[in-house]
Amino acid sequence: MLRKPLLMFSFVFVLLAAVVSVGLAQPVTLTVAQGADPVTLDPHGQNDQPSARVRVQIFETLVNHDANLEIVPGLARSWEQIDETTWEFKLQENVTFHNGDPFTANDVTYSFERIKTLPSPAAYLIEVVTDVEVVDDYTVRLKLEYPFAPILAHLAHPSNAIVNQRSVEEAGDNFGSSVAVGTGPFIFEDWVSGSHVELSKNVDYWGEPAKVDRLIIRSIPENTVRAIELETGGADIVYNVAPMDELRLAGTPGIKLDKYEALSTTYVGFNVQKAPFDNVLVRQAINYALDVEAAVDYIYTGQAAQIPGPLPPRVWGFDPDLEGYDFDIEKAKALLAEAGYPDGFKTTIWTNDNPTRMEVAELFQANLAEIGIDVDIQIIPWATYLADTAAGKHDMFILGWGTVTADADYGLYALFHSSQIGDPGNRSFYANDRVDELLDLGRRETDVEKRRAIYSEVQKLIIEEAPWAFLLVTSEVNGMQENIEGFVPHPAGHHKLASVYKK
Amino acid sequence: MEMDTSIQKSQTSRVLKQLFRNKRAVVGGIVLIMIVLMAVFAPYISKYDPVKQDIRNRLQPPSKDHIFGTDQFGRDTFTRVIYGARLSLRVGFTSIAISLVIGSALGLIAGYYGGILDNVIMRFIDILLALPGFLLALAIVAALGPGLENVVIAIGISYIPSFARMMRSSVLSIRELDYVSAAEAVGAPDWRVILLHILPNSLNPIIVLTTLSLAGAILSAAGLSFLGMGAQPPTPEWGSMIAAARPFIRVSHWAVTVPGLAIFTTVMCLNLVGDGLRDALDPRMKNVG
Repeated sequence: MLRKPLLMFSFVFVLLAAVVSVGLAQPVTLTVAQGADPVTLDPHGQNDQPSARVRVQIFETLVNHDANLEIVPGLARSWEQIDETTWEFKLQENVTFHNGDPFTANDVTYSFERIKTLPSPAAYLIEVVTDVEVVDDYTVRLKLEYPFAPILAHLAHPSNAIVNQRSVEEAGDNFGSSVAVGTGPFIFEDWVSGSHVELSKNVDYWGEPAKVDRLIIRSIPENTVRAIELETGGADIVYNVAPMDELRLAGTPGIKLDKYEALSTTYVGFNVQKAPFDNVLVRQAINYALDVEAAVDYIYTGQAAQIPGPLPPRVWGFDPDLEGYDFDIEKAKALLAEAGYPDGFKTTIWTNDNPTRMEVAELFQANLAEIGIDVDIQIIPWATYLADTAAGKHDMFILGWGTVTADADYGLYALFHSSQIGDPGNRSFYANDRVDELLDLGRRETDVEKRRAIYSEVQKLIIEEAPWAFLLVTSEVNGMQENIEGFVPHPAGHHKLASVYKK
Repeated sequence: MEMDTSIQKSQTSRVLKQLFRNKRAVVGGIVLIMIVLMAVFAPYISKYDPVKQDIRNRLQPPSKDHIFGTDQFGRDTFTRVIYGARLSLRVGFTSIAISLVIGSALGLIAGYYGGILDNVIMRFIDILLALPGFLLALAIVAALGPGLENVVIAIGISYIPSFARMMRSSVLSIRELDYVSAAEAVGAPDWRVILLHILPNSLNPIIVLTTLSLAGAILSAAGLSFLGMGAQPPTPEWGSMIAAARPFIRVSHWAVTVPGLAIFTTVMCLNLVGDGLRDALDPRMKNVG
């Protein structure tokens, strides 16, 4: 009589214990989906967003941008500007790479030298750094060629991450494809090309460790498919939800959306060395003729905001008092007539095969038809888009620019300085002495207020000169399951996922 | 000659009679005629402009004002579809006219003269046949560059082989008949024999092939435009309409469904008429097309 309940009790107890222990041991996997496969996991390789989104989980930089774009400590715990061209960084101690090697000042020297000698496609970010001097194991000094105000913002760029010399040399050509050794909260496990990258939690992480055990970053190029994966539970977080999918997901129970204004602008560039775009009146007329508000409201369905000039509002140096161009067909017609084209002209606009940009092109085609400009839309494959616009084969083109350092220098210098014509970024072939002078002054000026005034002036000048038709800054929308907590979006789009957990 | 025309007349009436007895062919024909009429009278049927945008009125479901709703730029879908019929029919007819003329000429020459000329022409045709028709057209447009004219040329070329082969095989069977030998015996020049005696008597299968190819050509043109190789925006072409509206299919499917149905209906009707013609003209050719 007594034995049976006891047996029963012990059976239930064992069962319960088993369930609890399995529950505890069950590793938590976070699955994230983005729109493309990484190119390489080597932080000093190709500087592209899909790669950066994986790298920032594995590798770390000396300093970081927080969600509000303030500079916060990373591998450097503090820093100090010793003189105009010397910066001293105190490094975190007790940091080890994923292969067990300790992190010291020599790794900083090695990484920066590697960026310059490879050279990394993003080497221009630290062009100004002439020397990295090791003071002691945990102190380095950066020597700059000239006073460079945005240096900290540049060091926060994921392409300036610190790598481990031994692992780079041992891996050879495999570094970035089958080997990726950093100091970050996640350890690289596996990369199935075209499908996903798998990472695991770094249990020895020096800072706050990751809250999930496994992180899988999938690549799903088709926007709609990515959205469907979220609905069906194939992903916990999906990046870059397209406008149309946003409308749909917004009403789906169990899914929440995270939306923030990004640092990426979309613009129409003119080839200002080609007639009729060499005439500033024509460029201004087109700025007046485009119905940007309609593009923002109906094509981006609110995933964008109109901007008056070249810089997104969240970038340091943006002048909130700028006046842009309104949508004013009559003014556009008058300017075009004044420029000597009362009946308009025939031209082309290029776009890559991005569905949203193709729609924008078709909207602008209709807008420009109103003032007599007959536009032929040409869809150019992305593979040749950058090369052909750098070569100046275009009349007008639609393109974007992400000011990843969130500093006006990055958002203007490469795009409008005459030394940057072509591939570096000035695809409108724009050259203006005063603009050059101001942009050079801006990157050297260390007084914050003076620097702000310089960028204010240059933005006004660029708006008046209109080498672009200024359009909009895009918002980014990430979709996630309702049980996902702790997601802090990075304004430049490469979100760090160590803080994310499942409720 | 008198005799000849009356025989032809009676044959034509026999064919028509048989065609009208085929219910499916009749339905296909009626719908096809309606589509042609809509294309021709498009500006009188719809008060909307097929190109003018009204983006503030985009992706509307069907309503009193827009019977098939509006597309992603607020343009009336029905209007764009009937204007699109003009393009699709024109592209279909012109491209098939190209392949009909060139293909039949090659087939006539190859079949009539035989020998080395036949060999050269037919090996060239074999080369064209080595690639599936649509791929061949795609390759040609890729080489020529996107645009509707180039699509017409590409589809025209891709249908040459079927016409050439069909023509050659019927010429081969007619070439040995007594009336051809008789014409040659009385010293008629080659061109006269080919054009007056062989061509008219080998036309039946070609007529059938033309109708069926027309369906294929319209489908290929839509396919090429869907891939961005054909009509460029804002031209209302069925294939490019579907491609452009595709991202919105989960929000408002009308701008995709309606042009899709238009392609489906047109191609199906052409096939029904083609099948009917085949049965009426030459019951032996059950498996052509």
